[in-house]
Amino acid sequence: MSEQLYIIPIVLLLPLTGCMLVLQVNPYHALVIRGIFGAIAALVYVLFGAADVALTEALVGTMLSITLYAVAVRSSLSLRVGAIEDQLKAHTARELLSVLRATFSKHHLRLEIVPYTNLLAMQAALRAKEIHCSYVLSEPGGSPSPPGGGSRYDIQTRVSRLYEIMQAEVPPTKAYLRYIDLANPDKSTEVPIPEAMEGKS
Amino acid sequence: MNWILLATIAALLIPIYEAWQDENIWQTMLAFSSIASKTSIMILIVSVLRDDWTLGVVGVIILSVGNAALMLLAHIIRRTNEL
Repeated sequence: MSEQLYIIPIVLLLPLTGCMLVLQVNPYHALVIRGIFGAIAALVYVLFGAADVALTEALVGTMLSITLYAVAVRSSLSLRVGAIEDQLKAHTARELLSVLRATFSKHHLRLEIVPYTNLLAMQAALRAKEIHCSYVLSEPGGSPSPPGGGSRYDIQTRVSRLYEIMQAEVPPTKAYLRYIDLANPDKSTEVPIPEAMEGKS
Repeated sequence: MNWILLATIAALLIPIYEAWQDENIWQTMLAFSSIASKTSIMILIVSVLRDDWTLGVVGVIILSVGNAALMLLAHIIRRTNEL
């Protein structure tokens, strides 16, 4: 009878941490909370006399699965951005990158810069789906220049969801956005996504 | 001896609240390490109360392996923040 005095509060910790785990939105925080959940689950198994189950929960359920999932989340939640090598060090490029980083950190995405030596190689990589989006310095005669002057960038992306996110967050004075539809090449490059979406819907 | 376990359960609620509240990933890791060591110490106390050596061995293994898991996870999270 005296054992029940501490068994019940300990068992109640399990649904508490389970709810914390389910309600967590950040994937990395959720992984750490999964570790907390595993530690408490191992304690509950020991209280019910299942020492082997507790050991397996601690070794496999907590240690191995969390480590593997952390590697998987780290490599899958990354956005590959192509850039020309010579333009990477410019002040405006770093400013644009910090804006992009702040934009995508809200969606828990990590920016990974992939440098290219020339524009052709970067375009080919975008079409071969090696990178998700690319940015280059706008040429003077190319896209419409910003009202305040200064340098502006062309951002091209092949993922429509990324286009929507950037359209809402990146200020138009910093970059000119373009969506490239790889499935329908005739709709791509010059057509910004709002018109393309209207045509589809 | 039961009061020791009850006090540890009460102390366990503090890092759980901390892990729920905090935005910083390192604070959550800190709470995780605190909870992992507290639960394995509780396993050791239970093994002494029940005079069960199997539970004691499992508690010691969990106590030592928990630190290894924490170091592995910390390295991966640190490299995520660097890139």
